[in-house]
Parts: sequence; structure tokens; C-alpha cells
Amino acid sequence: MIPLQHFLFIGAALFSLGLFAVITRKNAIQILMGIELMLNASILNMVAFGRFDKIDNTGQIFGLFIIVLAAASVAIALVIIMNLYKRTKNIDPNKANSLNG
Amino acid sequence: MENLITPYIVLCLALTVITAPFLVFLLSLIVKKLAPFFSILSISTSFIASLILFLAVWQKQTFHFAFHWINIGYTKIDIGILLNDLSVIMLLLISFIALLVHIYSLEYMRTDPLKHRYFAYLSLFCFAMLSLVLADNLFVLYAFWELVGFASYLLIGFWFTKEKAVQANKKAMIMNRIGDIGFLIGILILLSHFHTLDIDLLFGTGDLISSSFVKGDSWISPFGIMPSYWLTIAGFCFFTGAIAKSAQFPLHTWLPDAMEGPTAVSSLIHAATMVAAGVFLLLRIAPLFNDVVLTSIAIIGLFTAFMAATIALTQNDIKKVLAFSTISQLGFMMLAVGIKDNSAAIFHLITHAFFKCLLFLAAGMVIHQLHHIKKEKALNFDEQNMQNMGGLLKLMPITGFVFLLAACALAGLPFTSGYLSKDAILVSVFEFADLKGGIFWLFPLFISITSWLTTFYIFRVVYLVFFGNFRLSKIVSIPKSSLNIHDPNPYMIIPVVILGIFCFGFFFAYNPFSLEISWVYKGFNAPSHQGGLYPILVPVYINIMSFAIIGATYLIYSKQTVKLNLQNSWMYKLSQNQWYFNTLYDVILMNIILFKAKAFYWFDSKVIDGFVHLASDLTLSISKIAAWFDTHIVDGLVNRVAALVVQIGVWLRSTQSGKLQHYFIWMLMLVLSFMIFKIVV
Repeated sequence: MIPLQHFLFIGAALFSLGLFAVITRKNAIQILMGIELMLNASILNMVAFGRFDKIDNTGQIFGLFIIVLAAASVAIALVIIMNLYKRTKNIDPNKANSLNG
Repeated sequence: MENLITPYIVLCLALTVITAPFLVFLLSLIVKKLAPFFSILSISTSFIASLILFLAVWQKQTFHFAFHWINIGYTKIDIGILLNDLSVIMLLLISFIALLVHIYSLEYMRTDPLKHRYFAYLSLFCFAMLSLVLADNLFVLYAFWELVGFASYLLIGFWFTKEKAVQANKKAMIMNRIGDIGFLIGILILLSHFHTLDIDLLFGTGDLISSSFVKGDSWISPFGIMPSYWLTIAGFCFFTGAIAKSAQFPLHTWLPDAMEGPTAVSSLIHAATMVAAGVFLLLRIAPLFNDVVLTSIAIIGLFTAFMAATIALTQNDIKKVLAFSTISQLGFMMLAVGIKDNSAAIFHLITHAFFKCLLFLAAGMVIHQLHHIKKEKALNFDEQNMQNMGGLLKLMPITGFVFLLAACALAGLPFTSGYLSKDAILVSVFEFADLKGGIFWLFPLFISITSWLTTFYIFRVVYLVFFGNFRLSKIVSIPKSSLNIHDPNPYMIIPVVILGIFCFGFFFAYNPFSLEISWVYKGFNAPSHQGGLYPILVPVYINIMSFAIIGATYLIYSKQTVKLNLQNSWMYKLSQNQWYFNTLYDVILMNIILFKAKAFYWFDSKVIDGFVHLASDLTLSISKIAAWFDTHIVDGLVNRVAALVVQIGVWLRSTQSGKLQHYFIWMLMLVLSFMIFKIVV
């Protein structure tokens, strides 16, 4: 049986990678991928905690919810990025500053 | 008649006398065209009112009206009118002569563009002079005393475009200021000693002066005690005022210069009325003077009479001769006051006013005619210089005749008014000397010489102007026939003829050889001349000598058979240069004043300015320090705070970079710091 700590290490590593991607990338798609990584790290944590929980399968169900929500949010995010590209021919979020006062 | 004259009517008349000229003074400056008409109307009104007042008051009763005016501390000063013998006779004299001079001026000033101003000033003068005579109170008298001085100033400088006239009126003003200071101090001494300035209370019915007395070293009045020398000082102070106004030595130099004014003005103000105000003042306050002051008055009067007569001998300007003659005759009056013969002083004042006014008016007619010729033919000569005249009696018979008449009166020949009044003074002087003896015999000696000198200089004028050849036609080389010289029109003739009538002695005394029965002389408690031979001998010996002198002047100046070559003698020069008084004053006084001014200037520029500059330098350095403190400390603090705020703002703004990922980092750090905080705490 794989101990919980390993899952948590992998989750933390994934989360950190996602975070790194979100902070450093200049491409909105890559940032979106970073966000997905962080979501997946949390799903992994959920599933891992659900494995060791006294109540059955709550963590897994949470994981499913998160997957669905993530899919929905990705769809919306992609649409936003598409529209951004259409307007500015650019998907660098730092350059989308037309709302800047 | 007696019942008609109530005090109320008297007051109304007295007010009419003074308000009429004053109203005209105000009106003339507005209604310019009618100014001469209004002036004559007003002065006639004044004259008629004066005449009624004279008839009501003379030798009958005294009216005194006083109204409360101002309080100074506990001292009340009234304003009011005092009508006694002296006031009414002066009132009559002034208004009468002023009326004649007004009529004369109509012609004399006919072509002057500023005629309305002339008549306004003349009315102002009449107002002031009549009020001065009426004043019941030394304070009010002082005010009008100043006002006549001011009117005289205006009229001397009436032709203000002439540099000499402007200089002359300044001189008159300044000379009179010196006397006015004396007068003011005198008033203040009396005020502090008697607590009143009312002339009637002090010298008349109240008789405060007589009720005060000198005991030991103190002068005791009902109100207090003063050291006795204050009595003498007060006398001298009033006398100083009179000296300046009546042009006595040493303040006489303004009067000859005052002849720059129109001749009609000279005759009214500087011969007949205003200059007599000094004598009038002395007569008003006569009881005040003690023996020291009286003797000084007599000495000054004698000296002035003698000095002015010697100066008049050699002057060539006809008006200058008459001016010095006026000074000399005022000296006679002062002398009479000094020897306590007040009635002779006022008698001579009145007769002198008539004949001296006449002399000036007649001289003015000659000057007027010559001035016309000068303008008509565009010639250049001095119309006042007697060397340009001569033989005018044939050309201007009336003028010549009245001038001769007035000259006789001035010389004191029999049948004239001058005979009565001048001999009254001479007789009194002889009696005075007889009483005192010793050195006082110099008084009759010098006054006799002065009297003969008077005869000499006035007949010199008569012969130079009216007899001999007409020199002007030779000087300008135009024949006499083409120079149109004739008697002027009736506006000028009538006043001088009327004045001429008053030069006769019988107007003042029905027997023109008897001084005693003269009504003016009797009216003022004249001293009795019954004892002694003087009243008989003095006129005789004076007049015999006078006739001899008239003969001599006839030979010298009319026939020119006797030649006098005195032009280079020191006496001639002394006389010609008016005893060098002007030079003396110029050199000594001017230098003293200039030196003083320079010293004050030095003191001002070095010491006072030095202080000021030092103070300003000090202030400047202090303010520099303050400025440094302000800019560096106070402003520095404020600026530093502002800069700090800017710094903080810039620093805080840098968090708001507008970059998505930066905000993300901030969020992350916030969350992490919360977690760390939670863990640590």
C-alpha cells in the first residue's frame, strides 16, 4: 500500500509546477495549463484523502465534481482567450490592459 | 433818536457792518461780473451802518455784547462786539476810506482780467479789519489780526506773475509772523494771569489791569501772583505784535516792499488802515504798559520816525517815498502812545489816514496815466520813478492840487488837519521832555528834525512830480503835446476830492489853530496843555522852519538853481540804501539761517539718517536670518513631509503594476503570510 505522504508529495510537486507556470508564462494557454495542473494536484489530494477516510468515497466524489467544474471553467477560459485573440491578435495577459485606468 | 437806538438794533447794525463785506467776498468768487458792484454796495452799507453806530455811541454810551463761544479747560472764551468811542471812530474811518478806495479801484482796475478776485480780496480785508476793530476779546482780535495780515498778503501779491510782488508778499507774511508770536505770547500771559481775555473786563469797565498792582517783586491780580517782570514781558510781547503790523524798526522792511501791490491797495491797507492796527492795538490795551515798556515804545517810535524820514529823502520811486513816510508817521503815533498821549495818537492816526490815503491815490493817478502812455506808445520806462515826471500840475491840475493839499497836511502846515494832529504830538513830546528832563530832551530834538525832514521829502516829491519841466518827453524823445496826459475820469477824481476836503483843519476843529477844541482830540481824555508856552511856541517854530524848507526844496528841485551834489556822500548812500537794513538782514540773518539749516542738514543726514540706516541694516540682517530659517527649516520640514508622502505614494503605486501575474504573486504572498501567521501564532 502506498502511504499517504507520497500522494501528498506528488500533489505538492504538481501544484508547485502549476503555480510556477501560472506565475512565469507569458502565454494565456500555458497559464491555463498551469491552472489545470494545480486543479489536478488538488484532485489527486482529494482522492488520496478519500482513500484514507473513514467514510467511503467522499473524496473521490469531490474529485469528480472538481473535474467537471474544471472542464467547465476551461471551456469558458478558452472562449475568453479566443475572444481576446480576436480583438488583440495577442494572448499575453499582461498586454490585455485596455481596462487599465 | 435816543429811544430808537436799542441794544438790539446796535447789535444788528454792528453785524451788518461786518457781514456785508464777508458775503461779498463769498459772492464775488461766484458772480464774477457783478463783483465790483456788489463790493461797492456792501461797503456803502457798512459805511452807513457805521455812521449810525457812530452817532449812537460817540461820547454817549458803550455797548458790549458777548456770547459764549468755547471752553478751554475752565477758561471760557467769548465771542462778541465791543462798541466804545475808539471802536466807532475807527469803524467810521475804515468804512469811509474803504468806500472811497473801492470807488477809485473801479477805474484803477478797470482793465484787469482778475478784477473780481481783486474786489473779493478787498472785501475780505474790509471784513477782517472792521471785525478787528469791533472785537471785544483779545482772542477774537488776534484771529482777525491774522486775517487782515492774510488779506494783505493776498493783495500785495495780487499781480502774482511779478516775481517781486511774490517776494514782497512772502516777506510781509514772514515779518508779520515774528510779531504775531509776540502778540500770542502776550495773550497767553494775560490769560494765565487774569483768566479772561475780554477787553472790556481787562481794560474797560472791569478794569482788571488797574486792580492788579506790582508790590515788591510780584505782580498781584485778583486771580494770582506772578513775578513782576511778567508785566514788562507781556507789554513787550504786545508791542512786538504792533511793531510788525505797524512796520516799526526793526521789522519795518516789509512795508516798502509791499508797494508791489496795486496802488489803491497800498493806500487803503498799507497807509490808512491795516498798518494803523498796531497803533490801535496799543491804544486798546494801553493800561497794561508800565514805564519801561512805554519808554521803549517811545524810543522805537522816535527812532523809526527819524530813520524812515531820512530814507524817504532820497528815494526815487514815488511809492517808496510814501511808504517810508507812512513808516515815519506811524513812528509819530507810537511815540505819542509811548508818552501816554493816547488822544494825540488816535487823532494823528485819523488825520494821517485821510491825507496819506490821498497821497497814495493821487500818486496812483499819476502812475495810472503814465502806465497808459507806456502801453499806448509801447515805451519802456519806470512809471513810478519821479525822475521821469515833472511839471504835471499843468497837465493834471486836480491831481496836482489834491496832492499838494495832502503834502501840506503831511508837513503840518497851518489850516490843515496835519497841523492839529502832528502838533498835538510835538507839544506832548516837549512837555514830556520838560517833565523828565536830562537825556529826554533828545526826544523833542529828534522829533523836530524828523518833522522838518518830513516837510523836505514830501515837497521834494511835490516839486519833482508836479513842477519844473516834464522830463519824460525828453527821456523818450516824444513831444509833450503828443503824450496824452490828463486828469483821470470821475471815478478817481471824486474820491480824492472828498479826501482832500478832509485834509482841512476846520473839519476837525472850527478854529484850525486850536488843538484843544478839536472834537476827536477832546473825545479821548486828552491831557490838558493849558500850562506853559509850548502849545503856542512849538507850532510856530516848527512851521517857520517848514516854510523855509519848502522854499529851499523849491529852489533845489523845481527851479534847480541850487545844485546839491551829495550823491557820493556816505549820508546819501545810507539813505538811498535804506540804512542797509535789507542788506543787513540778508547778510546776517540769512547767513545765520543758512548756517543753521546746514547744521541741521548735517545732523539730519549724518546722525538721524545714520541711525535710520543702522536700524535698517540691522533689520535687513535679521530678516535674512529669518528668511534662511523659513526656507530651510520651516519650508524644509513641510517639503520633506510632502516628499515623504510622494515617496510612499510612489512605493505603494508600484504594487499596482497592472500586470496579472504580479497581482497573483501578491495574492499568493498574502495567503502564505496568513498561513505563516497562523502557524506562528
